[in-house]
Amino acid sequence: MTLVRMPSATAPASPTSRTRARRARAHRRPRVLIAVTGLFFALLYLPIAVVALFSFNSQKSLTVFDGFSLRWYRAFVHDDVLIASLGTSLRISLVAMAGSVILGVALALGLVRCRTRLGSLAGLVMLVPLITPEIVTGVASMLLFKGLGVPLSTATVMLAEITFSISYVTVILRSRVAALNPEVEEAAMDLGATRWQAVRLVTLPALLPAVLASAVLIFALVFDDFVLAYFTTGVDPQPLSVRIYSAIRFGVQPTINAVGTLMLAGSIALIALALFIPRLFGRRGGLDILSGK
Amino acid sequence: MALLRPSSRTRRRDANGTRIWTWLMLPGTLWMTGFLIASLVLVAVLAVGTTDELGNPRFGFDLAGIRALADPAYTEVLARSLGYALLTCVICLLIAYPVAYTIALYGGRYKHALIAAIVVPFFANYLVRMYGWSVVLSDDGPVLSALRAIGLADAGTRILNSGFGVVAGLVYGFVVFMIIPLYAALERLDVSLIEAGRDLYGGPVRTFFFVTLPATRQGAAAGLVLVFLPAMGDFVSAQLMGGPDQIMIGNLIQDKFFQGQNWPLGSALTMLLMLVLLVGMLGYLRRTRKDEAEALR
Repeated sequence: MTLVRMPSATAPASPTSRTRARRARAHRRPRVLIAVTGLFFALLYLPIAVVALFSFNSQKSLTVFDGFSLRWYRAFVHDDVLIASLGTSLRISLVAMAGSVILGVALALGLVRCRTRLGSLAGLVMLVPLITPEIVTGVASMLLFKGLGVPLSTATVMLAEITFSISYVTVILRSRVAALNPEVEEAAMDLGATRWQAVRLVTLPALLPAVLASAVLIFALVFDDFVLAYFTTGVDPQPLSVRIYSAIRFGVQPTINAVGTLMLAGSIALIALALFIPRLFGRRGGLDILSGK
Repeated sequence: MALLRPSSRTRRRDANGTRIWTWLMLPGTLWMTGFLIASLVLVAVLAVGTTDELGNPRFGFDLAGIRALADPAYTEVLARSLGYALLTCVICLLIAYPVAYTIALYGGRYKHALIAAIVVPFFANYLVRMYGWSVVLSDDGPVLSALRAIGLADAGTRILNSGFGVVAGLVYGFVVFMIIPLYAALERLDVSLIEAGRDLYGGPVRTFFFVTLPATRQGAAAGLVLVFLPAMGDFVSAQLMGGPDQIMIGNLIQDKFFQGQNWPLGSALTMLLMLVLLVGMLGYLRRTRKDEAEALR
């Protein structure tokens, strides 16, 4: 069960009692470490469990569970403002997903294969969103739109989200592209394909699992994103996470428990799906011949 | 024909090749340069800009925004943000190390599942998680009730509305960024090294400090940077867990752009935040470069 590797090859034929004792000690699981880890998991899931539990509370309280009820879910479904926000968030996520996946996959292909100075410059540009805190990107995007005289709206959120999602797609895809064997593309071209056909018919299908996984992940991240949306959204209809932010700043609103539970469940499912997608296609993305080593 | 002149064909293909990769790279790079680099430059320009009588930003050259940063009210907030962010880093390291260690060395075939069980909820909605965390830490929430039951807290002990609450929020928000690099480093760690330490009569403590810890130092350094960056810029934790007396630089920036309408000052504060983070990043890069140089020697 434990991972402590037994030095079987080097161990003497008949271990002394001392080594045996030491080995027994190594095999004993350290109780303190396991207790700390258990406590960590408990505290990690407790807030999520609390939100989920009290979303089914029949009363408004966040401390006393009074009885099971779907009243807050019903309140959410009948809240036109929240439903409009949900639609806005879904549209933003879909557009940002499509835009950033197209740009990000192309960028990943180019970055891996292009060994010019322009390529390394592009690699640097790509890193900037990853090391800039969200509040800075939020402020910067808002200033850019204001400076250009573009009124803030759902469209500006979409543009900002695309900009900052490209890097994530590229980071996910880059290692996959690097693992592909370029000779397969060469072979396709020897068989008469143009460079573009080789990319489209050979490389892209091999990348499909990673592309799908990154698309699902970006959808979830954009849907959940708050800071960037907060700085770039217009007045109406605001994305769901911005609404949640305004709501939780002003005290307990049980409807938010219901919305939050649905959002948590949705994004946990999507992120788990993103992790799982590559397995659906088999370990190596279904096309063994294309993986480099 | 083709066989007789392979070189020209290959050359043509290579030329085509580079061109297509450049073309693929261009849209994304131009998009990001246009939006991101341009907007960051705009922040810098506006930090020395002015506002007209309606509060709209005007370009110009006025150091009022920059000079205002020296105001003790702002330096105090900056010092507090730095303190909270650094404390968050240390606490994250202290929590993440045993967790990552346990999973990497004792997780067995459940390793991947356990790490996934940490990572997946962390990337779910940040706001909802922080909101749930503030409920858990509230005056009659489960954590304080449990602490009171075992006598570690009395009726007057509070977590929310204090600096401790803000740090607790930041830790809960970003500890995953410490766990991932540490786990990666510990997973790569050759367990026979630890055994060798034990074989050389090092006790568990000495083995840990002379073998395990040095081998995972880079993972810890990466984790510290990954936690420091978002913790320094966060404004949700201070708002939900700290109240008005515990604001961080993120809250100031938010205030200058939304309530205060002082955009030059907001931009100057944003530049200041970037500067602090840049110093942190450079420190990290120098550290890792030194480590690499030592490893090569």
